[in-house]
Amino acid sequence: MAARRTQKQARTRATREFVSEVEEILERMRADLADLADARAGGRLDPDLANRLFRSAHSLKGIAGMFGFEGVSDLAHHMEDILDGLRMGRLPPGAPALALLDEGVELVATLLESEGGDFAADSLSQVRSLIERIVASLTAAPAPSADDDLDGIDPTVLRALTEYEEHRLLESLRSGCAIHLVEASFEILCFEEGLSELTRSVREVGEVLSTLPAPGDSPDSQIRFSLLVATACDATALHARIENPNATVRTMRASRGDPAPPQSKAPHDEASTELSSDALFADSARAEGGSDLESLKSISDTVRVDIRKLDELMNLVGELVIQRGAIGALADRLLADPMTSRIGRELAKVHKSLERRLADLQAGVLEVRMVPLRQVFEKLSRVVRRLRRDLGKEVRLDIRGGDTELDKLIVEQLADPLMHVVRNAFDHAIEPADERVAAGKPVEGSIRLEALQRGNHVVIEVADDGRGIDPEAVRLRACTLGLIERDTVLSRKEILDLIFAPGLSTSAQVTETSGRGVGMDVVRENVTALGGLVHVDSQVGRGTTVVFTLPITLAIIRALTVGVADQRFAIPLTTVLETMLVDPETIQRSEGREFLNLRGEPLALRRLHAEFGLDAPAPGARQAVVIVGLGDLRLGLLVDRLENQQDAVIKPIQGPVRSVRGIAGATELGDLGTVLVLDIASLVEDAAKRREAA
Amino acid sequence: MSLEAEAGVAEPFAHLARGAARRGEVVTESAPERELLVLWLDESPYALPVERVREIVRLRPITPVPRMPASVCGVLSLRGEIAQVIDLRLRLGLPASSDASPRRRIVVLHGEDGQLTGLLVDRVSEVMRLRDEDLRPPTGRDAGTVIGLAPQGDRFVSVFDVERVLDLGVGA
Repeated sequence: MAARRTQKQARTRATREFVSEVEEILERMRADLADLADARAGGRLDPDLANRLFRSAHSLKGIAGMFGFEGVSDLAHHMEDILDGLRMGRLPPGAPALALLDEGVELVATLLESEGGDFAADSLSQVRSLIERIVASLTAAPAPSADDDLDGIDPTVLRALTEYEEHRLLESLRSGCAIHLVEASFEILCFEEGLSELTRSVREVGEVLSTLPAPGDSPDSQIRFSLLVATACDATALHARIENPNATVRTMRASRGDPAPPQSKAPHDEASTELSSDALFADSARAEGGSDLESLKSISDTVRVDIRKLDELMNLVGELVIQRGAIGALADRLLADPMTSRIGRELAKVHKSLERRLADLQAGVLEVRMVPLRQVFEKLSRVVRRLRRDLGKEVRLDIRGGDTELDKLIVEQLADPLMHVVRNAFDHAIEPADERVAAGKPVEGSIRLEALQRGNHVVIEVADDGRGIDPEAVRLRACTLGLIERDTVLSRKEILDLIFAPGLSTSAQVTETSGRGVGMDVVRENVTALGGLVHVDSQVGRGTTVVFTLPITLAIIRALTVGVADQRFAIPLTTVLETMLVDPETIQRSEGREFLNLRGEPLALRRLHAEFGLDAPAPGARQAVVIVGLGDLRLGLLVDRLENQQDAVIKPIQGPVRSVRGIAGATELGDLGTVLVLDIASLVEDAAKRREAA
Repeated sequence: MSLEAEAGVAEPFAHLARGAARRGEVVTESAPERELLVLWLDESPYALPVERVREIVRLRPITPVPRMPASVCGVLSLRGEIAQVIDLRLRLGLPASSDASPRRRIVVLHGEDGQLTGLLVDRVSEVMRLRDEDLRPPTGRDAGTVIGLAPQGDRFVSVFDVERVLDLGVGA
């Protein structure tokens, strides 16, 4: 009985891994299929896309087989057949083939959802019927076209080509491209770099059909490669493109007349390194029918890691940092005693270098957690594409800054809020076409999604050119709901901020009159939980911009420790603008609220001891002010002592009490023990709210 | 905080508890015999299922947290994880103890989702076995935190309903 349960647990864990991996593959395939369908409209099949899809199907086959899901594995195998037919030109890239692929992806997705990866036998009948249709479509496909004219192409090169490469060569010849052989030598120690550089520059003007190790005499320290290139350029133009001075270009076939534009691809680092390392083993790989080997290789150069494992590593690093502190203290003790000062000096030196390495280790672990926002942006772009199709509304999504990196956990948590805001913009903010024309706007609406890094924060803006939010409508609604008094004086910004108030934004009336939809309070809640801020700006008739400000990572921060009464708190340094000491008499009051004259501007103050119910300092004692800011909000926190700066790994506080407002978590700071980390976002927002309520 | 103090956690009963906790993972709910960790408040014994116990640590500095209910005496770092510590005496409405007795312990429990909570108790004594049919209904004086009384020799040990103990009536 016990054994069965253990087995079941192991199986659940394995299944979970399977499901998440398959989900990732399906996600990639969906995106590529959509792109393939778009690209096909241009009349040509993008070979890179077809290859990527082929590899995805191959991975799906492999992993499903590994976990014993034979039906899915078999289906993937047949999808692979279709894709192979497409990329080899055996199958026309028409709608029927793509529809079958779409169906395959969706079927696996449905099975995954309904069975949780535990595919029952009866759902396999659907799989079988789909496979039968695939087989039928494959056999119905016309036979591969007869040999084309390959005159002028070096037979030794031809022999080295894989079936796929030969197909690409024929395709290029058919479209009238010139075929050149580019040869260059590289230092063997750093050839990958040189080769990918060369590949990149060639790809700007054409397609690299094959990369082959070149025969011929070269010094032992060098390695020679030939690139078989299809391009519209002639040899001189191609040579001019290539920045490598020792590369030679040999034309095998001149271009014919007015060729179709070559497959000019954006540089693609991953693909080129993959090629270069493959090329070294090309001979053996090809002898064994290499294309399979190639695709397996490309799967194995990344490792999937559970983020919790990275958290564990981070914990370990944190503990090492604490232990390092203990070694430092020991070195100090040895140094202080003349009997042991020599050994103390040596230990201090070791300690110093340990400190540096630890810092590197910490940075390394952190870096692994960082992922580009592109992952989320691409999902959003797919949603918009689907909405555009389903609702027939013309909206363009411009994406910028997809390379901006954020902690994986933050990116995950951000997907929903961003989706929400983008959907709101699409559904409500952007007016119907006739309304836009009447307002003198372009028919096509625009949503701009832009990310950029600003110091230790990432700012993401979602801007639309829709109808904007009418502050009066928001204000009226807020009055009706009793959120504000009828005579409350509010700035435009403060009124707009009300759309984040619970209750208000869910009201249909505001949705209709102001163009902003539901659940903005949830958006703010999610973003605040990440230690971030969200704000909105809008101009009636011109559009709305929602701005997210987020910390780059939650995992480790530089923190300022401060003392209040007999307690100690840590403040994330990313939020600290400056610190200063103040005499109590310089603190001014207005309506009972304390503030400070900071270089001619009033700065609201909060006393941390009062906030947290701790003992007040002796009257008249000098106090320290930590000025914190997030977005454009500022606040001065009055504390008793400024202590020092430390690296801190913020941990959530576990236990029955889910959260305490103003506390983001806790951290262990070596000999200081466990120290609470302040949640500056909520403290600053509370202060802002209090100001509003005042 | 010295490393020796950390190592000092490895007391005989801690071993026992941890071993049992490991075994507890494969003991199903319907097992006829349960293992319970016996802990003491004043001179009264209480018990809780040993599989909920992750570890038992000596009393060490606890960082107080503002704005928490009074029965939460603060937080504690356990090898990188931060857990709230509940003063079990206050939780049960008993007077706080000013006793800095070296026998005081923090019993660290893990929840269903791997979440940790520490219970501050006066001392921990042993692991007892209990057959379900031996459990007697509670006398109803313990604010619903006790699910039953387990006979041990000539006295009864109060068996906690752990979820009720951890439910401080705050948060969600």
